Amino acid sequence: MSTPNEPQNPYGEQPQNPEDPFRKADPSPEPPAAPQYGAPGYGAPQAPQYGAPQYPGTPQYPGGPQYPAAPPYQGGYGPTPPPNYLVWAILTTVLCCLPLGIASIVFSSQVNSKFAQGDYAGAASSSNKAKQFAMWSAIVGGVFIVIAFIAGIAGGFSENSNY
Amino acid sequence: MSDVVSTGQLAVGTTPSSGPPRRRGAAALVGPAAVALTAGGALVVLAKVDPNQPGHYPTCPFLFLTGMYCPGCGSLRALHDLTHLDVVGAWGMNPLLVLVVPVLLAFWVAWTVRSWRGTPRQRVIPALWINVFLGLVLAFWVARNIPALGPWLAP
Repeated sequence: MSTPNEPQNPYGEQPQNPEDPFRKADPSPEPPAAPQYGAPGYGAPQAPQYGAPQYPGTPQYPGGPQYPAAPPYQGGYGPTPPPNYLVWAILTTVLCCLPLGIASIVFSSQVNSKFAQGDYAGAASSSNKAKQFAMWSAIVGGVFIVIAFIAGIAGGFSENSNY
Repeated sequence: MSDVVSTGQLAVGTTPSSGPPRRRGAAALVGPAAVALTAGGALVVLAKVDPNQPGHYPTCPFLFLTGMYCPGCGSLRALHDLTHLDVVGAWGMNPLLVLVVPVLLAFWVAWTVRSWRGTPRQRVIPALWINVFLGLVLAFWVARNIPALGPWLAP
């Protein structure tokens, strides 16, 4: 993006920024403020979070150099990888019932490989499948344990607990 | 703001770039603390109630249905041995579990640190590593059902 240019523009316009946009007295200075905070793409949720504590510094001009500190947040976070549920896959594989847990590991791997290739939609889809398989693996295992306990109460409990 | 935070862990189908703001500090450690308490409680029960004694826990479903060992067979007894610091006994029951426990602990530590700092998960494990782990699990599954390897790999 054009982030190297943006911190330079506010320096020239800075005497306007603490006065007009935040007191909302004049709607005309808002278009220069909109590309300043809206353009990084994350929109409203992050702007109040990281931006707002810095505004008390801006009426004093030493607050101005804090504007270049904002883009590293967005550039450093980047796209958040979707959860691959690898821990759930491992847990259901090692502690639970098998074939579904193995499938969960396969999709967990797909999440990371697709995300690394930039296929974010595919990674999200694999993430959902990994979650489904891990969840159903745990549910099937839980149902089996319940059945086993009921059978154990009925008298046919396992001779040795080969779990 | 708390409405957005509550969807942070569960939003799967959203685009990856729409990361909501997250809680930080002690409030974000509720999840890791709950997992630690649950796992700790389960380990206490497992340490007291011996899975080597018959009738305490149900049999592995895969073993029950097929008569063959699965990669998880013996994991409960291995965890029981680990709670008594018997690593050799745990390795004899299920070496895969002994290898996996430190990895899971590392994941938990990383999750706790991320929660404390309020940063989202950024780095992903290379898919190759997960595939290697998958191959290890499948090979272990087959190998421990081979009678010649049973003394080392079967529970």
